[in-house]
Amino acid sequence: MEMPAPNPEVLAKKARVVAQLQDVLPRSAVIFEESETRAYECDALTAYRCPPLAAVLPSSTQEVAAVLKVCHAEGVPVVPRGAGTSLAGGAMPTADSVILGVARMTEVLEADYANRTIRVQTGRTNLSVSGAVEEEGFFYAPDPSSQLACAIAGNIAMNSGGAHCLKYGVTTNNLMGVTMVTMEGEIVEIGGAYLDASGLDLLGVICGSEGQLGVVTEATLRILHKPEGARPVLMGFDSNEVAGECVSDIIKSGILPVAIEFMDRPCIRATEAFAGAGYPDCEALLIVEVEGSEEEIAAQLERILAIARTHNPVELRESRSADESARIWLGRKSAFGAMGQINDYMCLDGTIPVSQLPYVLRRIGELSKEYGLDVGNVFHAGDGNMHPLILFDANKPGDLEKCEAFGADILRLCVEVGGCLTGEHGVGIEKRDLMVDQYAPADLDIQMAVKDVFDPKWLLNPAKVFPLASSETRRMAVA
Amino acid sequence: MQTTFTDDQLKDPGIQRANDILRACVHCGFCTATCPTYQVLGDELDSPRGRIYQIKDMLENERVPDAKTVMHIDRCLSCLACMTTCPSGVHYMHLVDHAREYIENTYKRPFTDRALRWILAQILPYPMRFRWALIGAKIGRPFRFLMPDARLKAMLDMAPRSIPPVSRNDDPQSFAPVVTKKMRVALMTGCAQKALNTDINDATIRLLTRLGCEVVVAEGAGCCGALTHHMGKAKESHATAAKNIAAWCAEMDGAGLDGIVINTSGCGTTVKDYGHMFRNDPLAEDASRVSGLAMDVSEVLMKLDLPEGDAKHTVVAYHAACSLQHGQQIKTFPKELLKKAGFTVVEPADSHLCCGSAGTYNLMQPEISGQLKARKVRTLEAKNPDIIAAGNIGCMMQIGSATDVPIVHTVELLDWATGGPQPRALTEPGKKVPEIPILR
Amino acid sequence: MMRPKSEAELADMVAGATAALRIQGGGTRDIGAPVAGAVLSTGGLSGVSLYEPGALTLVAGAGTPVAEIEATLASEKQRLAFEPMDHRGLLGGDGVSTIGGVVAANVSGPRRIQVGACRDSLLGVRFVDGAGRALKNGGRVMKNVTGYDLVKLMAGSWGTLGVLSEVSLKVQAMPEAVGCVLVHGLSEVDAVSAMSAALGSPYDVSGAAHAPVGADGHPVTMIRIEGLEASVAYRAAKLTDVLSSFGGEVSVERDPDRVAAGWTWVRDVAVMHNTVGDVWRFSVKPSEASGVVANLRAAQPDLVVLYDWGGGLVWVKMPEGVDARQVDFHGHATLVRGSEATRKSLAVFQPEPAPLAALSNGLRAQFDPRGILNPGLMG
Repeated sequence: MEMPAPNPEVLAKKARVVAQLQDVLPRSAVIFEESETRAYECDALTAYRCPPLAAVLPSSTQEVAAVLKVCHAEGVPVVPRGAGTSLAGGAMPTADSVILGVARMTEVLEADYANRTIRVQTGRTNLSVSGAVEEEGFFYAPDPSSQLACAIAGNIAMNSGGAHCLKYGVTTNNLMGVTMVTMEGEIVEIGGAYLDASGLDLLGVICGSEGQLGVVTEATLRILHKPEGARPVLMGFDSNEVAGECVSDIIKSGILPVAIEFMDRPCIRATEAFAGAGYPDCEALLIVEVEGSEEEIAAQLERILAIARTHNPVELRESRSADESARIWLGRKSAFGAMGQINDYMCLDGTIPVSQLPYVLRRIGELSKEYGLDVGNVFHAGDGNMHPLILFDANKPGDLEKCEAFGADILRLCVEVGGCLTGEHGVGIEKRDLMVDQYAPADLDIQMAVKDVFDPKWLLNPAKVFPLASSETRRMAVA
Repeated sequence: MQTTFTDDQLKDPGIQRANDILRACVHCGFCTATCPTYQVLGDELDSPRGRIYQIKDMLENERVPDAKTVMHIDRCLSCLACMTTCPSGVHYMHLVDHAREYIENTYKRPFTDRALRWILAQILPYPMRFRWALIGAKIGRPFRFLMPDARLKAMLDMAPRSIPPVSRNDDPQSFAPVVTKKMRVALMTGCAQKALNTDINDATIRLLTRLGCEVVVAEGAGCCGALTHHMGKAKESHATAAKNIAAWCAEMDGAGLDGIVINTSGCGTTVKDYGHMFRNDPLAEDASRVSGLAMDVSEVLMKLDLPEGDAKHTVVAYHAACSLQHGQQIKTFPKELLKKAGFTVVEPADSHLCCGSAGTYNLMQPEISGQLKARKVRTLEAKNPDIIAAGNIGCMMQIGSATDVPIVHTVELLDWATGGPQPRALTEPGKKVPEIPILR
Repeated sequence: MMRPKSEAELADMVAGATAALRIQGGGTRDIGAPVAGAVLSTGGLSGVSLYEPGALTLVAGAGTPVAEIEATLASEKQRLAFEPMDHRGLLGGDGVSTIGGVVAANVSGPRRIQVGACRDSLLGVRFVDGAGRALKNGGRVMKNVTGYDLVKLMAGSWGTLGVLSEVSLKVQAMPEAVGCVLVHGLSEVDAVSAMSAALGSPYDVSGAAHAPVGADGHPVTMIRIEGLEASVAYRAAKLTDVLSSFGGEVSVERDPDRVAAGWTWVRDVAVMHNTVGDVWRFSVKPSEASGVVANLRAAQPDLVVLYDWGGGLVWVKMPEGVDARQVDFHGHATLVRGSEATRKSLAVFQPEPAPLAALSNGLRAQFDPRGILNPGLMG
């Protein structure tokens, strides 16, 4: 992956920059020795790595502002980082950048049950936001697979989704307000515990901007009362096509499951070997979950099962207890770990129109043979958000490059059938150079024009999202 | 994750194992979420993922670690919460144990560090020396303000107010079952535990014999080696472990054993790992026989027929020791047993988080340990328990030092509920006396 | 009036414009500061180009009448989830409301609290910026984080950033059954608490409104539920329990036509139709709603008020020319109906704090460097 050459001036003044950072932060919050910065050289995408100039761990919005003022004045790029769980390399540094981690900012500032909102510092993990309101019966709906570890800051940056967003929406649909620090170090409040924007929807464009417009330090999030119960049903089919049709029929029927998850045969087999969840050995498997009271669940499942039966399933397993539900979900939740047991993997994230599922899965199968790399598919079928996992051997020279080429082909295929490059992981570094396959130059230009407004010096999260060639004139203009 | 070990490096079985572990890690970061030090410090370098990265860098480049790297590895509690969390099955324990040994062999610590570690290694595994040290500490406590090092202060603070006399039950011997014999087990009487608290072994022996066990204290068995093992002092830890292996194998090959019972879960984790520790040693086979028979006392009790007790309306907050819940993946047995005995069992929030005791950790890292202790005590007390129960002496000392809720070993409550004496801790001065339930 | 028939023609017209343009869909929402300029209507960019009921997606030209879209969806028992308000009753006039207008104004209705506003159902847009470039953002799939989310930015930008040519929307299946739990006679304070209790319950409420003066002249609090028949019956009973502790008489309406009529009355703010006076729309923290109204009433006793979104949205009819923003509150107020003179003298949209105004102005300068798209409409 091509990266811009680090700014030699910045590299040369490392000591001065570090000293200034130490002036505004506690000692333990400034990390600059080489043996230490290395641990910050990548996030959950390890294929691309580069140790930063330094890493800082502020504990408050004021400290974040102080750091940004220093970096802005010195012209040092800043890479914001939540929990470092990005699969797209969203928090990967450059050699001349300072990593700004919000991991120390984990406080719950206010839980307001009457208005159904919670205000948190953004270093707090997604799951612990729900944890903070659990005793009162509430939860925070967006549930990315990494919800145990991922931070709200990263969720906002990437507009993260999750298995249950079919019903509850993704981050942007559950985000009401933020405190953000601009690259200049100015603290701004956008939105709050009320709905919609008064003027332009700045919150809407900040969410999903991959940390390139500002550093979000606090967020007001919508919380909901937990449903009375939830129960999944597991369905096995003897072809991907049939499973795809079943998904479409369920959606059309008017029942809104909270999740429809899809696994294909390679993934089912890997998962069975690793977690032993008792899945049937079939071509395609769906997990459909519905919520409500016992009676409501029964009524919904009855409809869903009736639809499923019209597609001749090889297996229909309705959960009848918490234990059985956990077993049905066990395999799905261990899928990534299971694939990781076989080999290194690259996890893609393209979204396609649901109607294209069978065709795209068939093409992925063909490409898999051409490239000689195995691939397993596990994904959120209700919304067409695919997660092909391409297996490769990181220790085998050339394998990563082959995997990248295969991945790019799959993503281009997603765009070709009317979908997009990424449904919930973000562009980051990983899909940066594929942006031209989805957007025309002018479409990218207008997005970059937004960055010009928020970050005129182009210092925030450099070299991400936009192909280097597309952003070159802008970067050169301020260099 | 990609690794860059050379073929030559991979000939070393230790590196081979490290490579396998590192290759399984996908750097997803899930482990950070349940790591106590990351919760406290919020720095990638003080998380399992960060430590794995530092270890990888150190081993691949055969680098002599610098002070910072050593600091971050030293800060690891070895609570192994990360292993419970890891979706990819990364064996962090073996990796960090290997790294600790590597550091011990290549890095020269500052003098005070070396001295402290030497002293601990010379005292803790030896009950008599430890007993004298505790008495010394008790005398020395008024002079704690003279101590130049927070760690020395922590050591003084750790010494209990009362030091029990030696229990003759801990001498090598055999206790006959009270009812028809169901199994013959060896009890590991431990080292530090029996200097600090003799009630736990006494209660274990009473309880097991009452439920049909012949309980043997094997001649020659002693410290499990965990304390030195976690300092990276492989020679010392292997030496003590070898003695245990010999002692228990003699029993196995003699009258036979159905189990080796361990009531200090920190030791249990290590004894269950003997097979791995000695895998490249002539003792390999015996070591894995021992590991195969090792059981936490709660595991043995699940195989026996603990009588069902009447509801006692006594609220017991169960503190899950990390070595039990993460190291040995025993999560439900102690709670099930306590419930069966008639206690009302509650659990603190974030029960997966370590209390900060972690072997010698509370002595070596008093600051982080103190924060974890305060957090644990806060979450336990929030449940308003009458009693706190735990399955590990280290946790009991740690938590007990910061709360006036009495803390006892799980077996003491089970022994009490099945006819044994009331645990001494329930009437200890300075503790809240719980309303005493009517017991059989 | 300019009325392009294609996106290319639209782009040419914008590129060729030498003075300010007034961008319109069907001209049914004359909201905002008055704009002087030639009218550019998107009415000619009409028609549904793609509809996949099985994927819950629909793509249509910006000028497509909302009625046409609703009819298309109804044929597959689907609908627009966000329940866009029809402004014609409130503002007067008889134009044809277009989907582009709905998007440009980010219009939503009572279901906003459950499924979000128009922006939350908007999957993609095509538009022409002030330089006359035809651009796109988003797409037609439900999950898409590829690049910056200009889709949200375009929703509610009132034609000041670009002229919409095509929109793609996520749609929703119509429920099999509906029901409305009514609580009669509550004070405004109690009504907000009651709505909060309903919305804080697990019963998936899809509307929560309170009219201090209902259609029959008495206070009524309305809680809507939708879904499978068994589910609606169950939740109506549960909500009756939840709501009975607030003091009012509770009844349940299950006739679908009556429920629909009641919620259209709320959605379109019928209580203020054919009246004289300025109409303000407050978006507030729900628990502050009745307090805001009480403070307004202290100065202006003759208010007409309607609460929607569980109190988060308050419609207030005030005497003409009075600045409703004189009370303290968290949120924002929009002057939805007012004379041209009032809309010139009082800011129609809530003035933004300086740093945000700078960002908004910066964006407008980038999207519309010549300042020709509805200039000044948003203040």
